[in-house]
Amino acid sequence: MAEQLYNAVFIGSIYALFALGFALVFSVLDILNLAHPTVFMLGAFIALFVIGTLGLPWFVALPIAVLVTGLFGIALDRVAFAPLRRRGAPALSSMISSLAVTLIVVRLVELRYGGDFITFPAGAVPAFVFRVGDATFEGIRLAIVVLTIALMVVLTYVLRRTQLGRDLRALAENPRAARLLGVNVDRAIAATFFVSSALGGLAGVLLAFAYNTLDSKMGVPLELRAFTVMVVGGMGSLPGAVIGAYILGFGEVASLVYLPTELRDAFAFGLLFLVLVLRPTGLLGQKSRDRV
Amino acid sequence: MRSLAAVGLASALLVAACGGGAATPSANPASASATVAAPKPDIKIGLATAKSGAANFYNPQQSNGALLAVEQINAAGGIAGAKLQLIVEDDGSVRDQGITAFKKFIEQDKVVAILGPTLSAVAAGAHPVAQTAGVPVIAISNTGLGIVGTCPYGPCDWIFRASLGEQSAVPETVKAATQKLGLKKVVIIYGDGKFELDDLSIFKEAFKANGVTVSKEIAYTAKDVDFAPFVTQAKGETPDAIVASSLAGAAGKILDEVAKQMPGKRVIGGNGLNSASLLPNANAGLMVVGTAWSKASTDKTNTDFVAAYKTKFGTDPDQFAAQSYTAMIVLADALKRSGNPTDHAAVKKALEGVSSLATPLGAFSFTADHDVKQPTFVMTVKDGQFTPFQ
Repeated sequence: MAEQLYNAVFIGSIYALFALGFALVFSVLDILNLAHPTVFMLGAFIALFVIGTLGLPWFVALPIAVLVTGLFGIALDRVAFAPLRRRGAPALSSMISSLAVTLIVVRLVELRYGGDFITFPAGAVPAFVFRVGDATFEGIRLAIVVLTIALMVVLTYVLRRTQLGRDLRALAENPRAARLLGVNVDRAIAATFFVSSALGGLAGVLLAFAYNTLDSKMGVPLELRAFTVMVVGGMGSLPGAVIGAYILGFGEVASLVYLPTELRDAFAFGLLFLVLVLRPTGLLGQKSRDRV
Repeated sequence: MRSLAAVGLASALLVAACGGGAATPSANPASASATVAAPKPDIKIGLATAKSGAANFYNPQQSNGALLAVEQINAAGGIAGAKLQLIVEDDGSVRDQGITAFKKFIEQDKVVAILGPTLSAVAAGAHPVAQTAGVPVIAISNTGLGIVGTCPYGPCDWIFRASLGEQSAVPETVKAATQKLGLKKVVIIYGDGKFELDDLSIFKEAFKANGVTVSKEIAYTAKDVDFAPFVTQAKGETPDAIVASSLAGAAGKILDEVAKQMPGKRVIGGNGLNSASLLPNANAGLMVVGTAWSKASTDKTNTDFVAAYKTKFGTDPDQFAAQSYTAMIVLADALKRSGNPTDHAAVKKALEGVSSLATPLGAFSFTADHDVKQPTFVMTVKDGQFTPFQ
C-alpha cells in the first residue's frame, strides 16, 4: 500500500509539473498554449543532444535545456502569438497557431532523431535507487516530487509578492490598463512565456531522466490531463492545478487498486466530474479579475 | 487583359514546343521501334507504409527492405524482361490515409499488387478496398487477428500475410517460456489498443493450453505515462513472470519497473517487444519474445540479405526490413510463375502456390487461409542483440 501511495504522489507530481507551465500562460494571457507538450518534449531532446552529442554530464544538460526551452518560449510568443494579439485575433487562432508550431517542431525533431523512442547513453542519467523493506525508491522520482511542491510555492510567492508578479496580475486583468499604469507589458509577456516554457522543459528533462526514454510524442498523453487538472483546480489557479493533479494521480492509482481495471479512467474522471458539479469554478477557481 | 493574353500566348507556345517535340518520332513511322523491340512496361507494385504518424518508427526499414528486393530482382533481369517499379505511399499510421493510399494505387497507378499498410488497425480499413477491387495484397507487418482467413469485413481471399501472426508466434513463445522457466502463475499487463487486446486473448489461450494460471489481468491505456503502479499491483500476486501485451514504448517502462520491483523475474511479450528500439534498454535481457526473424540465423539467404542491406543502407536490417524484403521476393516468385504478371487473378493464384521458398525468414509458404507458414524464433536480448532464448 505504501508503495502505491508513493506511486500516486509521483504521478500527481508529473501531472502537476507539466500543468504548472500550461496554467501560467493561461492565467496571465488567456491563451491555451497547445505547443506546451512540444516544449516539454523539446526540453528532453535538448538534454539528449547535450549529453549524447556534446558529451556533457546530466547536471550541465539540465540547466541548458531549461534555459533553451525558456528562450524558445519567448520565440514561440513572438512567432505564434504576438502577431495575432496585435491584430486582436480570436483565441481559436492562437490555438491553431500553437498547433502549427507543434507540428513543425515535432517533425524537425523526428528528422534528427526519428519517430521511435530512444534512450540516453548508458550511465548518462542520474540513477540512485534505495530499498525500504520490499519497497523501491528512486532518487530522481523523489527529486521530482520535492521540486514540484517547491516550484508551486516559489511561483505563487513570485506572483503574489514581487513586482513581476504584480505586473503579471495587472496584465491578466487588463493589458491596456496595465500598459497605461506603466507596466512593461512586452517584458511581462516575455517573462510569462520564458517561465512557462522553462517549466515545461524542466518537466520534460526530469521525466526523460526518470524513465530513461524519450520520443517526439512524449508530451501528448499529458496534455489532456494537464487541461483536466487545470479545469478542476480552477482555470488560472496555479495551486489549484497542482491540487487537481494530485487528485487525478490518487484517483487513478486508487481505482487501479480497488476497482476492475476497465473502470479506472471512469473512476478517476468521474471524481473530477464530481468536483466540478460541486464547485463549477474549480477547487480554487476565482473570477477572472482575481486570477493569478 | 494584356498580361493575361501574354500568359496565354506563352502557354500556347510552350505547349506547341513540347507537343512538337513529342510528335517528332511518330512523324517517321520507320523509327527505331522497327529494329529494336520496345521495352516492356514496368510492373507497378504499391507499398503503403507509415512514414509519418504513430508508427513512423517502422520506417525507413520497411521501405528499405522492399526497395532492396526490387533492385536485386531488376538487376537479375526483372520479371520476364519487365522491370519492377515500387511506388511508396505514406499511410500516416491512420486508417483514412491508408485507404487513400490503396485507392491511389488501384485507381491511378494501376498496380499489380500492394504491400502494407504498416499497422493492423490501418489494414482493417485499407484491405477491404483491395478486396473489393480484386487486387492482391501482402500484409508485411500486420500481426493482429482478422487480417487473413476470417475477416470482420467479409471475404478476404485477396489478402495474404507475410508477417508471422501472433496466433502462431505467441503459443510458441509461451510453450518455450513455460518449459524453460517452469511457469505456474503469471500476471498479464495489457494496453487498450487492438493489437494489445488481440494479444491478450491469444496469451490467455496459450497459457491455458500450457497449464499456467493467469492470476490477474491489468489494463493500462495509451494515455498512461507511468507504469510503476501496474507493476506494483502485479507484484502483489507473486507471479513467476510478467506478461506484457503491449507495444515497445510501454514494454520498455514495464521492463524497467519489473527490474526494480521484481528482481529476477522475466517479462514475456508478443511482437510489440520485438523492436530494435528496446535493445539499448538496460533491462532488455529480461524479455522473452517470439519473432519472425533472427539476424543471427546462419541460413545463406539470410546472411546474404543482411550483408546486402548493410552495404546499401549502412545499417543492420531489423525484422520489418526482413519482412518487407521477403514479401517482395515472394511476390516476384509468384509474378514469374503467373504466366501473366499484370493479371491480378493470375498473380493471386500464383501467390497461393508459393511453397517452401528460401527467404530470410526461413522456408516460406502460404497456408490455405493465405497466412504465412514459417519458423518462429523465440528470442531474448543479450549484449544489445536479439539472441535465441536458451
